[in-house]
Amino acid sequence: MSLEVRLEGLSAHYGDTRVLDRTDLRLPAGSFTALLGPSGCGKSTVLNLVAGFVRASEGRVTAGSAPVRGPGPERGVVFQHYALFPWRTARGNVEFALKRLGLPRPERRRRALAALAEVGLADGAEKYPAQLSGGMQQRVALARALAAEPEVLLMDEPFGALDALTRTRMQHLLRALWQRRGTTVLFVTHDIDEALALAERVIVLGGTPGRILADHTVPAGSGDPDLRALIAHHLGSD
Amino acid sequence: MHATPSPPGRYRGRLGPALGVAGAVLTLWYLLARSGAVAPGLLPTPAQTAAALADSACSGALAADLGASLARAGQGFALGAVVGSALGFATGYLPRLSAAVTPLISFLRPIPAIALVPLATAWFGIGETAKRLLIAYAVLLAVWLYVHDGVSRVPVSHLRAARSLGAPLHRRFIEVLLPAAAPALLAALRYGASVALLALVAAELGGADSGLAYRLQVDGQFLRVDRMFAGLLVLGLLGVTIDLLLAAAGRRLVHWSTS
Repeated sequence: MSLEVRLEGLSAHYGDTRVLDRTDLRLPAGSFTALLGPSGCGKSTVLNLVAGFVRASEGRVTAGSAPVRGPGPERGVVFQHYALFPWRTARGNVEFALKRLGLPRPERRRRALAALAEVGLADGAEKYPAQLSGGMQQRVALARALAAEPEVLLMDEPFGALDALTRTRMQHLLRALWQRRGTTVLFVTHDIDEALALAERVIVLGGTPGRILADHTVPAGSGDPDLRALIAHHLGSD
Repeated sequence: MHATPSPPGRYRGRLGPALGVAGAVLTLWYLLARSGAVAPGLLPTPAQTAAALADSACSGALAADLGASLARAGQGFALGAVVGSALGFATGYLPRLSAAVTPLISFLRPIPAIALVPLATAWFGIGETAKRLLIAYAVLLAVWLYVHDGVSRVPVSHLRAARSLGAPLHRRFIEVLLPAAAPALLAALRYGASVALLALVAAELGGADSGLAYRLQVDGQFLRVDRMFAGLLVLGLLGVTIDLLLAAAGRRLVHWSTS
């Protein structure tokens, strides 16, 4: 249940400003890639292009064999500020994702509760987002995205607003979910340690207009201080 | 427990001072009317006002006027609210359409409804159609503006999330845009209802044979100040009642919203 994602000669403009310059990138099916860079380097633009929220001015994105022409349920998105629907409970938010499948109501409910249990939020199913902490809200957002059974999971600084402890917990949860499901993950962050803790591969984006500055494979069991120093150097020399 | 008062407790806490102010105003009114500072016959006492109110209630005049006014305001409001909401959703959701019609709205908005009474009379006569259309027009502009503003403020991430979860257009409208804009829609309807009352008065003063404002005009011609006070009291109470009902309905419908 995963797709390869390809960026081919991809450029994007914001108004008259070029924010991404002829970028090529291949994310193998089932891989976990972190897109690292300072604010405004175009990393969110890359994610929005893959999600189909914005259009490329040149080049193209393909997911599997199909070119990306707009948003689609095979590419799930987890947003920085969760983007939960405040008028629906946690379960209601997850069920929104399941409606597309045309399941009978009890089955939809059962699957939504299972998805919430998978992210450790079985108890909060009937709560509204405003009644949940930031970490819990992001768990719901993750459950909602995963319930749609996407083959690519796009995450835009999803843990940026969380405190350090909650953030570490969410990182462990995400790693475990990825190992279980094998979904292709593209994870945007500006935090080197987060990128190294999560991803198999770290791509450093920078410059104006944005382009790929470095592409590192993270050895299993990471914690390599030399690699961290090298990536920090790439980030700093932007 | 005592640190966070329950909602009923909160309202009880507010009711005390409000009753105090109302009592003070009544007392002041009474003293002023009895002091002789105002020319006799120009300021009725609270008791005389209540008597005038009871009088028109018993004769059936109040019910007839109230019925005529409510029918006009209600029909005009319904028409204006439906069209205004539809336009608000359209221009709030489609920025290009919004850019095209914004100058028009900016031009029409500052023209008070009362300024349109002669035109409405010229076009539609002094019948019910002119009054309903005038009220509908005033409500339409108010509701359009509020709904437009609410819809254009719906977070783009909500709509993006819905699209990437595979929700087609009709689901995005009913399940995302509508609830997301619901707090603004309810605020728009409350404001629209108050505008409907203003336009109602303007329309009835411009020529009518029944209604609360028509009665005020007749009472004015006969200098029945006690009846005029009673009429104003009814208009005020009507406005407050409608607003409270809409606010209560809103609290139930948009329970997730803190505003």
